[in-house]
Amino acid sequence: MPKPVEPAHHPYGPKVGALVERLASLPGIGGKTAERLAQHLLDCPKTEALAFARAITDVRAAVHPCPECFNLTENDLCDICRDPRREKHLVCIVEQPRDLLSLEATGIFPGLYHVLGGRISPLNGVGPDDLNLDALVKRVRDRGIQEVVMATNPNLEGDGTALYITNLLAEQPVKITRLARGIATGSVLEFANREMLADALRGRQAF
Amino acid sequence: MPTEKAEAIVLRTTDYSDTSRIVALFTDQFGRISALAKGGRRLKSSFENSLDLLADCQIVFISKSSGLDLLTSSQLIGRFRPQPNDLNCLYAGYYVAELLLGLTEEYDPHPNLFQVTRETLSEFSQAGLVARAVLRFELAMLREIGQLPDFEVCMNCGSLLEGAKPSGFLLAESGLLCASCSGPDWRGPVMHGGTLRVLQMLSQEEGEVWRNLVLIPQQFREGRQLTTLSISHILGKQPKSLKLLMLSVG
Repeated sequence: MPKPVEPAHHPYGPKVGALVERLASLPGIGGKTAERLAQHLLDCPKTEALAFARAITDVRAAVHPCPECFNLTENDLCDICRDPRREKHLVCIVEQPRDLLSLEATGIFPGLYHVLGGRISPLNGVGPDDLNLDALVKRVRDRGIQEVVMATNPNLEGDGTALYITNLLAEQPVKITRLARGIATGSVLEFANREMLADALRGRQAF
Repeated sequence: MPTEKAEAIVLRTTDYSDTSRIVALFTDQFGRISALAKGGRRLKSSFENSLDLLADCQIVFISKSSGLDLLTSSQLIGRFRPQPNDLNCLYAGYYVAELLLGLTEEYDPHPNLFQVTRETLSEFSQAGLVARAVLRFELAMLREIGQLPDFEVCMNCGSLLEGAKPSGFLLAESGLLCASCSGPDWRGPVMHGGTLRVLQMLSQEEGEVWRNLVLIPQQFREGRQLTTLSISHILGKQPKSLKLLMLSVG
């Protein structure tokens, strides 16, 4: 792998070098792609490149976490928290705003959300204090939440985070549920793996 | 670029691009490896959702001479399932993963440690004593990396450590000093004879004696002091997951 060029020693000058370095720091972008993107920004019309820069500046200035649920918003409260049709006593807990978008895309969840901002992962240096948990406990206690739906990722760390929250809310009069697990609709039992079938059997429901 | 097969325990997964994952694995034959699992984040892939933390898998990978290996398939042997509603068992699992990540080198095989890891994780899943299993794992880890103290002989004068008098633990040398060598002014950690015997039994490579071993709180406290100090000294910091772990006996 070729050694990355120091920004100060970039053939087009240190400013291009700095841009390449910034682009390469984005997730999924390596040195070569960063060079190509920088080249595109130099080749495209100046107005287009400046519009791109302005979009980044604007989004960073305007977008912030919703003070209620920690979803991203440009307003005082996010669209979901402001929506009067939402069931205020039902809250779904997700790890990231992206997970919220996936659940919203189903169009069937009538309640509100709470974005944790990650999951408990000591190996990556993320502990309970790094998540939006105090706000969650306060919300459940003060807003008369009746049901909390755990929608953390169905893996060891996601389940561990859900268990931690369940213990945290143990003294609150709230029903705690989690997303169902098992076989995907449209698949066939013959090809479902053992774990999926076991989950589906454990979580079977009245027909 | 040879294709290899191995049994492996997942130590860490990091998302890479929209669909791929970088995985750290502890294998039975090759020790720790880091591999790129292309498509590892997709629901349908040749990894069958097996790349979850501490999952036990059968893997196939292409060993690369430089950079990350390439994981081509993975089948789940068993998922780590800590005792239900017990966060401590989960944190103990995290601790095991952290020690394997921090204290083993890539492509340095430790088949015995692999076996102990499996047994330890299984102990966390059953109604076993978590504290004892953690201590046994720490001792096995220290033995494998050549940092386990000799529990029978003074590292300074070579005399047998007497059961009646406490021995001093010299952290920098990872060894024990008899009462005469440590002297009356010794201010470092001390280990009583009973503790040394228990640690000796727990650190045995083979046999099932450790399963019936009952530790009294003093022995457990002294044993944990020895392992925690040694591990933190080698790592240069206290393991992160240790802060969450609450261990006790009796």
